[in-house]
Amino acid sequence: MTDEMAAVFVGSSLRLGMPLMLAATGELVSERAGVLNMSVEGMMLTGAFGGAIGAWATGSPMLGLAIGLVAVLPVALLQAWLSITLRANQIVTGIGINILVLGGTTVAYREILGRHNRTEIPGLARWSPPGLGDIAVWGDAVFRQTWLLYAGLVLVVLAAWVLRDTAVGLAVRAVGSEPRAVDKSGLSVTRVRYGAVVFTGLMSALAGCFLSIGDIHTFTEGMTNGAGYLALAAVIFGNWKIGRTVLACLFFGAATALQFQLPAMGVNVPTALLIMLPYLMALVAVGGLVGRQTAPSYLTRAYVR
Amino acid sequence: MSSLAGTATLLRQSVRDRPAILVSIVAVIAATLCGMALVVGIGVSVPKALAAFADGAWGSPYAVAASINRALALALVGLGFVIAQRANLTNVGGEGQIAVGGIAATAVALYGGASALPVPLSFGVPMLAAVVAGGIWGAIAGVLKAKAGTNEVISTLLLSFVAVWILYGSVQSEALLRQPMTNTATLPESLEIPDPTKLPLLSANADTPLHVGLLIALAIALVTAIALERSVWGLRLRAIGLNPVAARRAGMRIAPAIVLVLFLAGALGGLAGAFMLQGDQGSLKARFSSGYGFDGLVVGLLARGSVPGVLAAAALFGFLRSGGINMELEAGVPSAVVLVIQGLIILMLAGTAFWIDSRKEGTR
Repeated sequence: MTDEMAAVFVGSSLRLGMPLMLAATGELVSERAGVLNMSVEGMMLTGAFGGAIGAWATGSPMLGLAIGLVAVLPVALLQAWLSITLRANQIVTGIGINILVLGGTTVAYREILGRHNRTEIPGLARWSPPGLGDIAVWGDAVFRQTWLLYAGLVLVVLAAWVLRDTAVGLAVRAVGSEPRAVDKSGLSVTRVRYGAVVFTGLMSALAGCFLSIGDIHTFTEGMTNGAGYLALAAVIFGNWKIGRTVLACLFFGAATALQFQLPAMGVNVPTALLIMLPYLMALVAVGGLVGRQTAPSYLTRAYVR
Repeated sequence: MSSLAGTATLLRQSVRDRPAILVSIVAVIAATLCGMALVVGIGVSVPKALAAFADGAWGSPYAVAASINRALALALVGLGFVIAQRANLTNVGGEGQIAVGGIAATAVALYGGASALPVPLSFGVPMLAAVVAGGIWGAIAGVLKAKAGTNEVISTLLLSFVAVWILYGSVQSEALLRQPMTNTATLPESLEIPDPTKLPLLSANADTPLHVGLLIALAIALVTAIALERSVWGLRLRAIGLNPVAARRAGMRIAPAIVLVLFLAGALGGLAGAFMLQGDQGSLKARFSSGYGFDGLVVGLLARGSVPGVLAAAALFGFLRSGGINMELEAGVPSAVVLVIQGLIILMLAGTAFWIDSRKEGTR
């Protein structure tokens, strides 16, 4: 592998891993609070759609990003209302939302832009940390990225800090492991869980925007194509800890990057095998083959007072 | 006397179940109305869209037969869902079970010498291979659940993705199932399976392509209904589903039951794959399972644990799919409208499930 190829590989691993990292961090917070959102996929797709249409309509990618974030709110609130207030099966509601969003965004996109539209949509600006962008070979390939990538890294670190070291984080974790105790202490389990689901929605929308207006500058029908499920797999593989989850996302990103890299290097590995790898790894993880899995004890269980 | 008591129980049961049936019907109607509103919003005239829908769903004997064939695959996945549900297990892996079923049936039909066998075996053996493959795929989730306590929803979903990509890989590689590449335009799909391995049609008239799968599926539905409602086995499953700890104390062996139940659910998914290959598509393509697994899951949900409910919901979705495809072709309405309708149905049913369950407990 030449230096140049290595640089491209590292750069694209980061770029492909980032949306997973954003969505998985959001989902992890919600799962720690006891709510499983199968709808991460749908929330990402909503964000990608809102961001793309918003950026196209206003001509401003920043406004697009804002519109993507607002567009996800009804979806996140629907998930929260169904699974927390109505105590519906969290998995079933998540799958329902994914089907609804896939149908809805497909119809809406065709209505607004036409079926096989390949309009270039204004995308988020690229940025590189001062100094790092000028390094020969590596600078451009690795560090010149959408600014959302750097903002995303900051967000992930912030989320990890809040979850571990603050009262809010303690409340979130307690709601997922000892909801009754939280209720007795006077804090509303319902409110904390609603908040966590909305956070998942916002992070997933950011991830979706990263795909549509950050990375490829266009929207295609069902463009998330299972990325939301990969984020869920990363949380499982990460054993509900942020550090490990982020590493899993990077690894999944690298596996995806390899699909494009290996043929260029003349190595012939079936693409399907590389795409399958993250799911297989997550399966091995949930099968308890890599250490004990410690899911939050009230994950997927509605709280009945 | 006992028959009188039996009738009384049955009556009480049907009253108890009424809110569920009512909610299902209301959900389907409300979702359909939303779909129609969407059609209006798109600017297609509703009568035109409906005419295209009806034409595709039941406008000709061919359309009816095609819709029913679609419904069969959905019914099988739905039956598997309901069996698993009885033991309080949720099988969301239909998509992958269909995929491995399709792979196994294709492999045996093309390269396993099935076409040389006498007639019922020539199509029966590939079907059996699909059943076994799907069953094993389901049983993996069962073993993980029994040994490591892995949530079967997560494992069946992950297994689905793995299976779908195995399918993709196997039609991409000539060493596996891809047809020999004679020129650059050769599509990444398998050869067409030989005629003797295809499911025989019920009528000699090729205009109504109803195949023998209809009889097989109905027989399976009957057996399932009897097993779930009238057998000790069905009662045991219910006991395990309601309270595994109490069931274990009563001497039932939980782990083998879990593995068997998920094997059966997977086997039915695999059989659905065989139906789709041998009764309809004829060759294995990358997008072979095309959402039938998730549709089958919805069918199982709609049925709320009842076998006749599965058949009704499967028929509904079979016709809905056929109509939706034709609506896109003839009236220019994206078939994604049907996805919206399906999504709404799932959400309405899921959202009201808790309310219905609490009512049931109240009337008991």
